[in-house]
Amino acid sequence: MTGGLQRVASTVLLVVVSFMLTALILWVSGYRVGTVLSGIIQGSITATGAATSTIRWTIPLLLIGLGVVIGFRAGFFNIGGQGQFYVGACSALVVSLGWREGPVPLVIMCGMIAAILAGMAWSLLPGYLRVQFGTDEVLTTLMMSFIGALVLQYLTAGPLRNPSGTGQTAASERIPEAFRITDSSGVSVTALLLVGGVAVLVWLLLERTRFGLTMTLVGRNPTMARWQGIDVRRVGLGTFALSGALSGLAGAVELHGPGARLVTGFSPEVGFTAVVVALVGMLSVWGTVVAAVFFGGLQSAILFLPIVTDLPPPALVLLHGMVAFLVTIKFRAVRRRRAGLAAKPVAG
Amino acid sequence: MTVPSGPASAEVPAVRCRSLGVSFGTVQALHDISLDLAAGRIHALVGQNGAGKTTLAKVLGGLQAPDNGTVCIAGNQIPPGDVRAAKSAGLAMVHQHFSLPPSFTVAEALELTAARPESHSVYRRTELYRRWQNEVAEVGGTNVLATRIRDLPVETRQSLEIVRALVSEARILLLDEPTALLTPAATDTLFERLRGLRDDGVTILIVLHKLREVAAVADTVSVLRDGKLVLGPSEISGVSQGQLSDAIVGPAPDTDRAIAVEAATDVEQQLLLELVRVSSRESAFEPGLASIDLTVEAREIVGIAGVEGNGQRSLVSVIAGLSAVTEGSVLLGGEEVTRAPPARRRLRGLRLVPFDRNSEGISRSAPLWLNQSALRLIGRRRQFPLISLRQYKRQASEAMDLWRVRYNTVAQPAESLSGGNVQRLVLSRELASGLEVLVAAQPTRGLDFSATNFVRSSLRGLRDAGAGVLLVSSDLDELFELSDRLLVMYGGSIVARFNAPYDRQAVGDAMTGALR
Repeated sequence: MTGGLQRVASTVLLVVVSFMLTALILWVSGYRVGTVLSGIIQGSITATGAATSTIRWTIPLLLIGLGVVIGFRAGFFNIGGQGQFYVGACSALVVSLGWREGPVPLVIMCGMIAAILAGMAWSLLPGYLRVQFGTDEVLTTLMMSFIGALVLQYLTAGPLRNPSGTGQTAASERIPEAFRITDSSGVSVTALLLVGGVAVLVWLLLERTRFGLTMTLVGRNPTMARWQGIDVRRVGLGTFALSGALSGLAGAVELHGPGARLVTGFSPEVGFTAVVVALVGMLSVWGTVVAAVFFGGLQSAILFLPIVTDLPPPALVLLHGMVAFLVTIKFRAVRRRRAGLAAKPVAG
Repeated sequence: MTVPSGPASAEVPAVRCRSLGVSFGTVQALHDISLDLAAGRIHALVGQNGAGKTTLAKVLGGLQAPDNGTVCIAGNQIPPGDVRAAKSAGLAMVHQHFSLPPSFTVAEALELTAARPESHSVYRRTELYRRWQNEVAEVGGTNVLATRIRDLPVETRQSLEIVRALVSEARILLLDEPTALLTPAATDTLFERLRGLRDDGVTILIVLHKLREVAAVADTVSVLRDGKLVLGPSEISGVSQGQLSDAIVGPAPDTDRAIAVEAATDVEQQLLLELVRVSSRESAFEPGLASIDLTVEAREIVGIAGVEGNGQRSLVSVIAGLSAVTEGSVLLGGEEVTRAPPARRRLRGLRLVPFDRNSEGISRSAPLWLNQSALRLIGRRRQFPLISLRQYKRQASEAMDLWRVRYNTVAQPAESLSGGNVQRLVLSRELASGLEVLVAAQPTRGLDFSATNFVRSSLRGLRDAGAGVLLVSSDLDELFELSDRLLVMYGGSIVARFNAPYDRQAVGDAMTGALR
């Protein structure tokens, strides 16, 4: 599989180049690059609690990123993970607050199911528009994402607002401590088993089921799939539903884990970073796992860096942007090349 | 014939080409074409699909550089493949597909393509309308100016394409199958307009498919076959439609001794596919079906002949379940499937070899084994969801070996195969167990001699094994060789039915709508 190795190498190279370009910009702006780099390593691995924090951020990135991978398999670009994540968290919160006396495992499970359904709904609307009318799903999922963020803002500032809250940003009441699957570090055996299990299930679905193979055929050539008797619309809707379900689940894991309550605009980047995670992971399940850990580390470092340098936090978001930019170019270039191969001169 | 040396005079042909040759890879699209088209006349160019008509039009218009030979427009030699030179010599093309931007209003589109646009880059709408009102007067009145191109009916768009060509001050018009999308009435209007233009001194070269239309509009006619000029340009009055039809279809090769296949009489005839008065809506490039009656029985190959674009695609996609039936019913093995989804028809024993194997038959970037296994993915919802990839790959490689597909590994992408091998891959998938009726659309197009023979003998073997085959082809020799019965499609209907042995001339006449 030399072709596979080459693809891995080129992706790693892209990440390295992004690092170097970011370092160059920081250097030109007068920061000490060495300090920043060592800060990144401390903030993601060596500092106290850094490794835990890395894993804490890996979890939502991986879940949403796998949703993006599923969408891509059938040829759809679901970049609305952020909104699906938010409505998922909101639904889980409603279940927990509305059923405080319920048996713990059942409430958690119901919260997750509610989150999955909400994420599905948030993704199925653009999905339906796509398969029925051909509406560009990049635009609609993105717009739905903003609506999701506004729903969260409305709920935390309105009906679900904690009246005794003292913070500056609107937040909801906390869910009962018993309903949490992790402490505020965001990492526990339960959470890891859950996420690991989901990754294995997604891999089985994509690589070892008829539906997964069908998705691959639809994503590669929907015309051929139609001639083969595949119901392309049904596959499309199923794909959108699964993709949104994972983002919704990520919202529930966030709420029952490190979050415990909803704050307006929490984890603002995670849904969008997850798209980059999936692309850097070369749209494969295990590649996405590796990329999620990497970006989890970066996210953790971004939160840590202000402690050791005078670097403003947005400066490291620059790195994200750089990776996203280069990976997208690479991705587009590959697609372009494929499209070019498909076009051939016709005689007559 | 003298070579013009002085300035353009009345004797200088509007278009002159010498020894034009064009090849695409191993296909010789044009072969040694020399042609003079006199000024101020309507010249028709006819021929079968793939005969090189569009290629010749493109070469004349400077869109395609010839491998050798020269083109002179109104006495000026055009550098090979130079669109601007052809344009400034006064030649304009009206393409097969519409080229005006659909979201523009008519006035905007005309301004955009005008030879001398107003020098201001900012314009007022009313000024634009005033500027173009004369040009569109004969198209549909001045109120058409503010309409967006996409909202216009097909025939108006067609006329506008001609207006567009004329506002660029063209004296020579090249029209590539302008009637393909027009209704008969709109065609008459178009021809009227062309005659008017000719009387104003414009030279017209028009690519046509139907002999009736040639007779209606052309002054001279030329026939291309297999990239060679086999007839003309001759005065239309000097050629009979029969002669034209013969020139288009070509002489019968030696193998064409109408191989009458003896129908096996010992088996019970069984109706496998039946279309009862089926109609469908037209697509962007083809007429819809108009009340088609068709049957395919066990142990027979039914051929569908016709000039391409006469509804063959509509027919196949209606049978496949890919486009809707507006009237009538489709039956597979006696079961009504008119509204059934494609998967149900597949499970009922329908197999398909689509028109374009590279876009419809395979997924180019997907691995061979997945392409080969596609039919195993449908209609198994009640089975255990997990599958064994190893088993899928093994079955795929066995099937491909049986059909002698040449490949290195089952994981290689399908685009790495040659054309013949792609078709073998498609056959290995479609001609497997469960097949009752096969619809084969252009199954040998673009294949070399041996691959063609392989496909044909496969179809014959299939028939002998008891299946029914519907063969859609534009290769008459193939149809004559394989078909037990032959139907001819024209304008979305079946206009003639033949039994072997076939009369080449009669079939050719039915295909082209020739009147003798």
